[in-house]
Amino acid sequence: MSGSDLFTGTLDILILRTVSASPLHGYAIGKALRDGSEGVLSVEEGALYPALHRLERKGLLGAEWGRTETGRRAKFYRITAAGVAHLDAEATRWAEYSGAVTAILGRTSR
Amino acid sequence: MSPWPFRRALPPGAVRSDDSEIREEIELYIELRAEELVREGVPPEEARELAERRFGDVARIEAELRRGGRAGGWERGRRAMGALGRDVAYALRTFRRSPGFVAVAVLTLGVAVGGNTAIFSVVDAALVQALPFPRHDGLVVLEGYQNVNGEKAVRWASAPEFRDWRERSRTVSLMAAVGQPTLTLTGDGQAERVDGEVVSEDYFRILGVDAAVGRTFTEEEQATPDAHPVAVISWSLWQRRYAGDRSVVGRTIQVDERPFTVVGVLPRGFQGVSLAADVFLPMSMISVPYGSGILQSRGARFLTVIGHLANGATPSAAQAELNRIARDLATEYPDTHQGRGCLIQTFRDFYLGATLGSSLGTSASTTARLLWVLLGAGAVLLLIAAANVANLLLVRAHARNREIVVRRALGAGAGRLARQLLTESLVLALLGGVVGLALGAWGLSLLVRFTPDGVLPAYATPTLNPRVFAYSLAMLAGAGVLAGLAPAVAGVRVQIADGLREGGWGAVSGGGARRLWGGHVFVVLQVALALALLTGAGLLVRSVRAQMAVNPGIDLDGLVAFRVSLPRTRYPSRGDITSFSRELLGRVREIPGVRAASLSSSLPFRGGNTGTFVHTDRDLGTPVRVWYHLVSPATLQTLGARLRSGRFINEGDASGAPAVTVISEAMAKRAFPGENPLGHEIYLGRDSTTSNGAEVVGVLDDVRYRNLTEDLMAAANSPDVYYSLLQIPSRTLEVAVRVAGDPAAAIPSLRKVVAALDPSLPVYQANPLVDDWRAQTARPRFAAFLMAVFSGLAAVLACVGIYGVLAFSVGRRSREIAVRRAVGASASNVAWNVVEDGLRLAMAGLVLGVLLALVGGRVLRGLLFGVGTMDPVTLASVVGLMAAVAVASAVVPAWRAARRDPAEALNTE
Repeated sequence: MSGSDLFTGTLDILILRTVSASPLHGYAIGKALRDGSEGVLSVEEGALYPALHRLERKGLLGAEWGRTETGRRAKFYRITAAGVAHLDAEATRWAEYSGAVTAILGRTSR
Repeated sequence: MSPWPFRRALPPGAVRSDDSEIREEIELYIELRAEELVREGVPPEEARELAERRFGDVARIEAELRRGGRAGGWERGRRAMGALGRDVAYALRTFRRSPGFVAVAVLTLGVAVGGNTAIFSVVDAALVQALPFPRHDGLVVLEGYQNVNGEKAVRWASAPEFRDWRERSRTVSLMAAVGQPTLTLTGDGQAERVDGEVVSEDYFRILGVDAAVGRTFTEEEQATPDAHPVAVISWSLWQRRYAGDRSVVGRTIQVDERPFTVVGVLPRGFQGVSLAADVFLPMSMISVPYGSGILQSRGARFLTVIGHLANGATPSAAQAELNRIARDLATEYPDTHQGRGCLIQTFRDFYLGATLGSSLGTSASTTARLLWVLLGAGAVLLLIAAANVANLLLVRAHARNREIVVRRALGAGAGRLARQLLTESLVLALLGGVVGLALGAWGLSLLVRFTPDGVLPAYATPTLNPRVFAYSLAMLAGAGVLAGLAPAVAGVRVQIADGLREGGWGAVSGGGARRLWGGHVFVVLQVALALALLTGAGLLVRSVRAQMAVNPGIDLDGLVAFRVSLPRTRYPSRGDITSFSRELLGRVREIPGVRAASLSSSLPFRGGNTGTFVHTDRDLGTPVRVWYHLVSPATLQTLGARLRSGRFINEGDASGAPAVTVISEAMAKRAFPGENPLGHEIYLGRDSTTSNGAEVVGVLDDVRYRNLTEDLMAAANSPDVYYSLLQIPSRTLEVAVRVAGDPAAAIPSLRKVVAALDPSLPVYQANPLVDDWRAQTARPRFAAFLMAVFSGLAAVLACVGIYGVLAFSVGRRSREIAVRRAVGASASNVAWNVVEDGLRLAMAGLVLGVLLALVGGRVLRGLLFGVGTMDPVTLASVVGLMAAVAVASAVVPAWRAARRDPAEALNTE
């Protein structure tokens, strides 16, 4: 299964969460997701970019071009106020979901 | 660069996201990712490639970003294809995890599709495939018949009758007559009996056939009687007897001991309208097989007539016109045309009907209907299989509920999930289709090999052609969608909200209840349909058994028969025939193991019956139509027929002695109701004269000469009368021999005896009489067999369905069962409960099935003998059988439930 199908909603939350501390360029966001989720979300790493652009269009993310530590030109994404509000709401909902999912998985594994 | 040329027309700045920026962004990612990989130890030369691969389809993602996330048409298609590919790959992966499920589902579909493929190719061959003639649009067969008490009783037309039809009809533009004698080929090689056709002018023109080598008959050859002994032969005879030698054209061959010049060879595959002829003679030479004068006799009916409808004429208009012509002829020639008619049929109907060989006109539709019934049974089997697979998918979907709930929760769309499930069933269907076609091809080869002659029209050769493939594919696709829709719908129904509210199990058990209900519906349907099919099979089997139980009036055990035909040229006189007959009988009786032997003009189930009219001294004015048989004295003992009263024909009833006759019981009841017929006189012919009288000296129990099913007392059916062969000789002789031991083993010595008497006299139709008897039931046995196979498979599938649902529910309720065990329920209690569940499940199906069977049984009306369509015995036994199947299906789940260790079951929770 491709990431985009399975995790459309989830990926958005994770991205918003990742850039909520400080603006990051695409590679850094991807690496953070990979490191944080033990590789689960990295079936097709490029799927990250459509999500970034979508969030940018929706106004949940802002973006500007800047320089990395090594001086390369890169597009940095930062969370907007709308993004923060969305993250809040979704995180709450997600906690409920995952609670239910965990309950099911926990109770029925053989 | 852009694949979308229209974008160049946009003003600068209107482009949403700069192409180069997108590329730069992705390029940076891949560079950094490659560096990361190098740090992890990947060789630098491989790092970049690996980074790109991890990134995914760069071009696709780039394109998607360029369009601001909305996929374009081409891209969308590509993505859908990608998704389809992923769905298929995913389906195959999940199948690998459950090979048992896949095997059952694929086999189920395969068997059903295979059965349908085989039966459809038979239907296709009989009802759709082109007939073996270059053209048959507008071609009709005109059959003369005799109206006997409202039924069309006899076939054939006389030559004058044919000429009248041809001259008077406007709706049939061309007409030709065909006589179908059996001919003897001698001279070049072994004596051989072949099927022949004596054809009138226009015969080959109507059929659109020309000679492959040489020519057909000229007008001059057809015009002058007995002046042009010419013949045309079939391709197959040319290959078989003359090794395909082209010089056979112009050669002289001996046909019925007369020289004929071969003028042509017909194209490959063409064997005349009889579909069996090897030698064709012009009508002008009719006297060779039939004797002279036959073309002038209005009473000599032996011709089949074919014709071509005039432009714009319909078969029904032609039928109306010929009805009128027949009425006119009856007025003009009341003696010979009273009650005569002409039936017009298309070629296909003619052949479908001819194979059944019984009452004219109704048989074609009967044959077709039997085939449709079998095709319908195949479709029902496919429905059952689809229900079975649907059930399997449902049970599986239930087992996968957790996966589905999690995936829904993680954001997978309902459509996406449904598509995934549907893909799974279509992949299953495809696998089933492959298995099905293989099974179908195999089944068809068996069917073709074991289908007895006469079951299908002679032209029908079932093959796997594109039409059959299309049908199988359509059936398969239908089954795949039917089977796949149910679980797809059920899978989508899983409500996450429920799951949240009820904290997990709610979603599973709530949805589960609905889906299980779906499973129950499928099992009920399966049981019902299987029961209906079993009923059909039961009825057909009982019908066959009833036919085989009919008393033929003779003792078939140890009887063997063959036929010889004495040619006019070498046996011109009555004396020649009589002395040959006497000599033949004497030598046959000397063969060791022969207990009795007799001669007659016809034998039961072997055709060659002759019909005529007689009247009696009791009622001179009422002619009775009868079948008459010429028999030698020993016929009674040889056949094992039973004399009811009086005596049988004996040696004393020779030429010169007073003419005698023995009549059948049916004749006695019809012509002499409530009287002793012995001593009465019977006169040949339908006029009320008292010439040609013969005294009734005996009454014989009815012998079934023509078929097993007709009611001998029905007004439309003619009874049998017997005359002495010593008083009326016959050139065509049936030799019946009763032997001790295997009748087939006696055939070589019988052939030797004939060869010793006359080496150029062919022996034909040599076989045990029981074979001819068996051929009578070939078609119903064929239908009953196919139906039994279909319904047997249906029962097995229903069994699998019941088993699936029970096993599933036992598995799901293991905790409940364990608790019950823990509080004191015994193992047998638990097991019995499961069996009860199975029976309850089956009960609804049985009730519905009985209703279906009662309604559906009506399609068998007219196809059954000795059993009604609502036969209670059949229904009861079929219901019992299905109930037993239900119990049997419950045994394994019940055993499993009883065996489960309560402690273990509780601990796993």
